[in-house]
Amino acid sequence: MKAKKLFAVKAAALALFCLVIAAGCFENVKLTKVKLPKLKVSQQGASYKRIKYPKLGDIVMPDVGKVTLDNGIKLFLLEDHELPIINVSVMIRTGSIFEPADEIGLASICGEVMRTGGTKTRTGDQIDEELESIAARVETSIGVDSGSASMSVLKEDVDVGLEILADVLRNPAFAEDKIELAKIKQRSYISRRNDNPGYIASREYYKLIYGADSVYARHTEYATINAISRGDLVEFHKKFFYPNNIRLAVWGDFDSEQIIKKIEKAFAGWQQKVIILPAVGDFKYEYKSTVNLIRKDDINQSNIFLGHIGGLKSDRDYFALVLMNRVLGQGFTSRLFRNVRSRMGLTYSVFGVYSAEYNYPGVFYVGSQTKSESTVKAIEAMEQEIKKITEEEVTEEELEIARESFLNSFVFNFDTKGEVIRRLLVYDYYDYPEDFLMKMKEKIEEVTRQDILKVAQKHLRPEDVQVLVVGRPGDFDEPLSALGTVNEIDITIPEQ
Amino acid sequence: MKKDTYYFPVSFRKLVLVFLILASISVPAFCQYLEGFEERMTEFTLNNGLKFLVLERHEAPVVSFHTYANVGSSDEVKGITGLAHLFEHMAFKGTETVGSKDYHAEAKAIAEVDRLFEEIKAEYRKDEDGDPNLLLVLENEFQQAQQEAGEFIVHDEFEEILTREGASGLNAYTSCDATRYISSFPSNKIELWMSLESDRFANPVLREFFKEREVVMEERRLRTESNPQGRLFEEFFAAAFKAHPYGEPVVGHMSDIQTITRSEAENFFRQYYSPRNLTIAIVGDVEPEKVKKLAKKYFGAIDGGTKPDPVETVEPPQLGERRVVLSDAAQPILLIGYHKPEFDHPENAAFDVLTDIVSEGRTARLYKALVKEQKIAVAAGAFGGPGNKYPNLFTFYAVAAKGHSNTECEQALYEQIEKLKTEPVTQEELKKAKTRSRASVVRSLASNSGLAAQLAFYQVATRDWRNLFIELEAIDNVTAEDIMGIANKYFTVENRTVGMIETKPAEN
Repeated sequence: MKAKKLFAVKAAALALFCLVIAAGCFENVKLTKVKLPKLKVSQQGASYKRIKYPKLGDIVMPDVGKVTLDNGIKLFLLEDHELPIINVSVMIRTGSIFEPADEIGLASICGEVMRTGGTKTRTGDQIDEELESIAARVETSIGVDSGSASMSVLKEDVDVGLEILADVLRNPAFAEDKIELAKIKQRSYISRRNDNPGYIASREYYKLIYGADSVYARHTEYATINAISRGDLVEFHKKFFYPNNIRLAVWGDFDSEQIIKKIEKAFAGWQQKVIILPAVGDFKYEYKSTVNLIRKDDINQSNIFLGHIGGLKSDRDYFALVLMNRVLGQGFTSRLFRNVRSRMGLTYSVFGVYSAEYNYPGVFYVGSQTKSESTVKAIEAMEQEIKKITEEEVTEEELEIARESFLNSFVFNFDTKGEVIRRLLVYDYYDYPEDFLMKMKEKIEEVTRQDILKVAQKHLRPEDVQVLVVGRPGDFDEPLSALGTVNEIDITIPEQ
Repeated sequence: MKKDTYYFPVSFRKLVLVFLILASISVPAFCQYLEGFEERMTEFTLNNGLKFLVLERHEAPVVSFHTYANVGSSDEVKGITGLAHLFEHMAFKGTETVGSKDYHAEAKAIAEVDRLFEEIKAEYRKDEDGDPNLLLVLENEFQQAQQEAGEFIVHDEFEEILTREGASGLNAYTSCDATRYISSFPSNKIELWMSLESDRFANPVLREFFKEREVVMEERRLRTESNPQGRLFEEFFAAAFKAHPYGEPVVGHMSDIQTITRSEAENFFRQYYSPRNLTIAIVGDVEPEKVKKLAKKYFGAIDGGTKPDPVETVEPPQLGERRVVLSDAAQPILLIGYHKPEFDHPENAAFDVLTDIVSEGRTARLYKALVKEQKIAVAAGAFGGPGNKYPNLFTFYAVAAKGHSNTECEQALYEQIEKLKTEPVTQEELKKAKTRSRASVVRSLASNSGLAAQLAFYQVATRDWRNLFIELEAIDNVTAEDIMGIANKYFTVENRTVGMIETKPAEN
């Protein structure tokens, strides 16, 4: 009941927030307290069962201030006076999904050299010296579907920190020597990408699921790195880096009114621009059952991934899937951990997650490593768990463990100011409701055993999994062909 | 009689001194914080010798626990390598009351499993004289006995109750020096933690021992045998230490893991897990008086036992360079290690400053020289290890850029090392290193679990948690001459071990 009321309050706050953003003025969300659920304690057995837990102190939802600057930068602010430190986290709408297929690595190099290559007025080396002498940090990077920047300074250095942060975002010089350095790193990374079986397995598994050319799975080659010029970097930056395309969260030891003025000053004169984002093709997954092998002779343990496409966090089934994941393959109490690791002793690490992303489908993967001689046995044990969760309801006890562990550890979503404000930033970036987490809690309280079976049956397809093994097939307990026609994947690195 | 409890204001003067140092980089807010730190700290020792450090931090209704067992792989002897780590795994398997339907019956069943394992070992020892059929029968009986013992188990009860009640970051780590058990909880679960953690170290039952051993073998395959860096590190440390157990792998040798018995693990536990060898740090939303009461109630009755002896083996001075080259499928990596003193040694502060100067950030000497300027490496730096309780290594490393070799990197590292020996570091470098070590302490104060780890470590390693702050004083006193001094004293050819991966040409 409490949670429902809270949701209403937060929804109202969200509506207010939208208005306020439009009006461009400062607003504080009301202080909200969250109550945790009471626990059932049984009175028998081991002594811990007799312990009565005192009521947990209320979780205080900190006031996150929001304001949109005249130039369009959306600010999120949270004061935290415990330590004399100020932190900034920035999100920019960009990503490697927008780079051309023959220049894979462009976004990543752009994100790196914005910082290392200096600006119009400072070389990268000067920035390094200036920041490191005051134990400060400013970094930039570009990932799959977002760009990010961060700053961390001792309070008294905030002006310098903000000035450098604004400078690298606005005026990167893309110095040739630092581009070359970034390319050396990229080429070296390519040359080393087949050294570690775990990396090989996850990289190639993503390619199996999304397709090798997909923006969500493709990777650099010598040719794509060599094709990138300074001009390309300048162009890429020019497409995305405008104040109206930026969200900035700041938290730490400051006064909000003053920090807004400082941020305004640091970013003053930065012109807005209408940004037209390049189109990203729709993704369509075709379910199929495949068996794939990558030979690696210097290992005595197979790396296994199996599964298919995953989903979106915005799916209404997401909340039941979160609990399904906990029963199936997340953490010490999951079926995979208990059975494949603890009972069978087949592996050190085993996991299974139907993963969901904010705006493109995640992947469903079950993975582990096992000695070559138990490869097929482990695969069958893992597949068995997928099958089982789509065939029978989880037990009442399993549901309770999954739900209570979620609810009882819910407080850890609020134990640092940084995670609270960064979460809001991310929700805002992906256009999710700012109370998404609270909504999740509310929904999870209501999930039933039937719900879990229903979403498992709808989203998991045990008969249509793609299996990938990195290993030494000569040592396997049975040939992989026992599982189906084997497709051998060649991971030889193409020469430049 | 020894008073079992004492409160903080013992060495207030030292603290005052420390926050004066900090004041030079920081604002009054931090000074206030440090004054507050002292007021929020409570320490007490139970009659059985178990030491508690309790720090109040009421930012959120959560609390972090850190049980620091002063035992690691360096306490093992040949033949039982990997035992400290294996015990850490077993410490999640429950107790006489947690995890058992009927402990009395279970204990008998476990004894039968152990007996069969000993018989199998005896049969194996006979080599050709052994009876292969008997071995097969025994193996079968062994599997059968494990299943029977399993009937009495309430599987995973220990992990389950912790997870269910909201544990976050539940885990444990074993190193050469220590075994740490960590978790965080909502702050209304303090008594639950007290109950389970005390039971864990008072009445552990090493059930499902032989299955967990298989899990650990998989961990060894994962981290060492199927991982090129893991392979290199194991060979490198083995080459550098011929006498001290720092040369042995934490996870243990495969043949030792395969033959360790449950009773060896229990003996190890009795020897090294007495309350006198444990230190517990608790940081978060707690009331110290209540914590103390609960600590006495739950941990007070555990028999104190004796404090185990430290490792007596001392690594003798190295008489000549040692070199280990792995011809491997992976790309090149280079390590150059020099023996250096332990953490609690007066020269340690100089090594800390040196590490910063050569290894931290983009202005560090090795990054600047090998990565930025010469462009022969993609990463270069230095670190201490494998442990720091006993004399260990100061290790320089370089990861060659594509098309460049270990030879070039080795040469470049020697040039940098030579420079450290012949020219004093600059005042700017010194100042930067000192500022950064202060800032890093400030930043570490923001996390309950991080603070708990630091407090426990400093308490055990230096016998006083205050050294977390006082060490900054030592760092502040380090001079350019000190750094040149340690470079000349330790970075010699005879004292050096070089390890590398050289890429094997692909077979066609």
